[in-house]
Amino acid sequence: MLDTSRVQKELAEGNRDTETSGVSIALHDGADLTHLSGTITGPVGTPYEGGVFVIDIRLPSGYPFEPPKMQFVTRVWHPNISSQNGAICLDILKDQWSPALTLKTALLSLQALLSAPAPDDPQDAVVAQQYLRDYQKFVGTARHWTETFAKSASVGMDEKVKKLVEMGFPEDAVRAVLEATKGDENMALEKLCSG
Amino acid sequence: MDSEDDMHDAHDVESLDDDFYSGDTPMGSEDGDAEYDFVDNESEDSEDVTSHRQQQSYTILSVSDIRQRQEEDIHRVSTVLSISRVAACVLLRHYKWSVSRVHDEWFADEENVRKVVGLLEKPVEMPNARELPCGICFESYSSNEMTAAACGHPFCSACWRGYVGTAISDGPGCLMLRCPDPSCGVAVGEDMIRMLASDEDKQKYSRYLLRSYIEDNRKTKWCPAPGCEFAVEFVMGSSSYDVTCNCSYSFCWNCTEEAHRPVDCATVAKWILKNCAESENMNWILANSKPCPKCKRPIEKNQGCMHITCTPPCKFEFCWLCLGAWSEHGERTGGFYACNRYEAAKQEGAYDESERRREMAKNSLERYTHYYERWATNQSSRQKALADLHSMQNEKLEKLSDRQSQPESQLKFIIEAWLQIVECRRVLKWTYAYGYYLLENEYAKRQFFEYLQGEAEAGLERLHQCAEKELQVYLEAEAPTKDFNYFRTKLAGLTSVTRNYFENLVRALETGLRDVGPSGNQANANKNTSPKSLLGGKGGKSGKAKVIGTSSRSGDEAWTMATIGLASTAPTRTRGRQTCARCANSTGRFGLCCLLLCD
Ligand SMILES: [Zn+2]
Ligand SMILES: [Zn+2]
Ligand SMILES: [Zn+2]
Ligand SMILES: [Zn+2]
Ligand SMILES: [Zn+2]
Ligand SMILES: [Zn+2]
Repeated sequence: MLDTSRVQKELAEGNRDTETSGVSIALHDGADLTHLSGTITGPVGTPYEGGVFVIDIRLPSGYPFEPPKMQFVTRVWHPNISSQNGAICLDILKDQWSPALTLKTALLSLQALLSAPAPDDPQDAVVAQQYLRDYQKFVGTARHWTETFAKSASVGMDEKVKKLVEMGFPEDAVRAVLEATKGDENMALEKLCSG
Repeated sequence: MDSEDDMHDAHDVESLDDDFYSGDTPMGSEDGDAEYDFVDNESEDSEDVTSHRQQQSYTILSVSDIRQRQEEDIHRVSTVLSISRVAACVLLRHYKWSVSRVHDEWFADEENVRKVVGLLEKPVEMPNARELPCGICFESYSSNEMTAAACGHPFCSACWRGYVGTAISDGPGCLMLRCPDPSCGVAVGEDMIRMLASDEDKQKYSRYLLRSYIEDNRKTKWCPAPGCEFAVEFVMGSSSYDVTCNCSYSFCWNCTEEAHRPVDCATVAKWILKNCAESENMNWILANSKPCPKCKRPIEKNQGCMHITCTPPCKFEFCWLCLGAWSEHGERTGGFYACNRYEAAKQEGAYDESERRREMAKNSLERYTHYYERWATNQSSRQKALADLHSMQNEKLEKLSDRQSQPESQLKFIIEAWLQIVECRRVLKWTYAYGYYLLENEYAKRQFFEYLQGEAEAGLERLHQCAEKELQVYLEAEAPTKDFNYFRTKLAGLTSVTRNYFENLVRALETGLRDVGPSGNQANANKNTSPKSLLGGKGGKSGKAKVIGTSSRSGDEAWTMATIGLASTAPTRTRGRQTCARCANSTGRFGLCCLLLCD
């Protein structure tokens, strides 16, 4: 079913020039060839600059004749990406997919999407509305989200927040403390308990 | 895939243009479309051609007709443009099978059309190398193992098969398949499919191609009857949307619901939606049994007409719809047929607010129930009539011909009666959807409408009863019955009279009851009710005794009694009265005095 030899070639090819392309692909859990994890760097000169965005990739059995399923894991403020669940509205991941495209080209397209939002064909109506009505505010929010969720110190921040919130601390306090401790869970816990 | 739209085309300027040609334009608004050779010889202003026009307004196409037309169109384009059959097919599919549009676009800007559709002027050879990398699986193959479309982009056979197979199983979008190279866009036509697809997929592809010819063309639609394979080609601008398929299903070409003339598509859509919303409340209406209003035993309705007679010993005759005594249906008691009207329960005395609300909610459901029950019952009545019609055609007519020593050719009037019943049940059914949406405050219109509907319904009940029950006697007779000619006259007469009533009703609804002004002018009503007969205002001297005398012969007391009823006892209801064309007697509503009773 799944063309494993092509996926293996793509893994090799995808990471060949990570430094320059800003794109990398890895197996999600080391064994399953249908579940991958990609990253893209935020394009320079955009509110996403400096961020690293993690994308969950699932390959259907018809891959590469059917498009890969991609979704942002890192939270991102963008008209074509759901601020709730990271779902992506991009034609090449839907009806414009071609088997001659690759995971790498798809990730590069996502990177291009970060540079050039298409608010007229939105995935997230709230974000799109803000983009169209108050661009400055949009840039501010997008930058803030990049700082909060996509900076290396905060990669995995959400999981940490979730863990601490589940222990019974209020989310606002948890986020503030984690930011202060640069994402160090143990230090944050200590502070929360003492504070 | 989200849509059938050509995937590589979504961003073309051309696709904007396509919208202009897609089915969004209102009916009949297209001119100068010469792609089919329809010749509309009929003048627009003549009313007399209406029925003729209806026969001319559409063509039923079988699968082989469709294939033939499609093949002819492809051949035409391929000949005129000097391109291959496959290329002509791609072009036609892109321009929604409009030969004239393909020609127009092509001769206006061939280069652009080629680009948009993905047709190269000259095919490009595959790169000249012993080994070539496949652009999908990234393996290398010797060049003779590779295949390419006209663009020369090589892919290995396994990848081509995967590509084509996935596209075909994705749906009709495969008809617009392009080279897998994302920068290319050259069309992958039927020749490639033949070469690369499995037999099953080839069949699927050819079905999609056939379907596309009907579904993408504004002038054709499939018959919506389940399992039916005919399509209907419609002449835009025709006076009626009703079409009857060769499978005998009648439907509205515009909205593809079953035929609903004289009610418009919007009302029908609203009504169907309403029925869905209320379906749980209404299930009981579809039950086939009700308690007899007199003896309370459950009585099953296994006939088409609404005149029910309880089983012995009760034998109470009642109306299935309102459960009132049948003897009170019609003019016998001085009223006229009123079972079709909804009268909200009169409220008296003061109500507190919550009580009034409850009452209103109850009324609105009651009101809907009234119309829905009549709509649904006429529907099932029509089904029954349809079954009776078929059994008449298939066996009973022969039997009757035998029993009554009549050649079958002399029994056509029975088939005609049944056809009339089937059609009238359909019309009557839809007039109840119409009635439901006719505003309560349009008093004059409502009154006129209910009057016409009541007339038509009463006539239909008599016709249906005559065809259903009275015929039975002659079918069961051991020897030819001398009354049979009388029966013939009566049934044929009822058929023609009922047809007139329904024609009036249909005409009135189709003109939006516009002959009734806000004042509800009765003279107007009169003129519309019976345009072909003289108005009889002379009172009720229609010879009661005479009629009653004949009633014993007819064996249908209810019918004759009802007939004289209006003339003799309903001075306030003279609108519907007609003068018998032969004896000048005022005869009541049926105008049948001579035909049936005066000879
Ligand atoms: Zn290949
Ligand atoms: Zn190509
Ligand atoms: Zn049909
Ligand atoms: Zn319709
Ligand atoms: Zn009874
Ligand atoms: Zn009744």
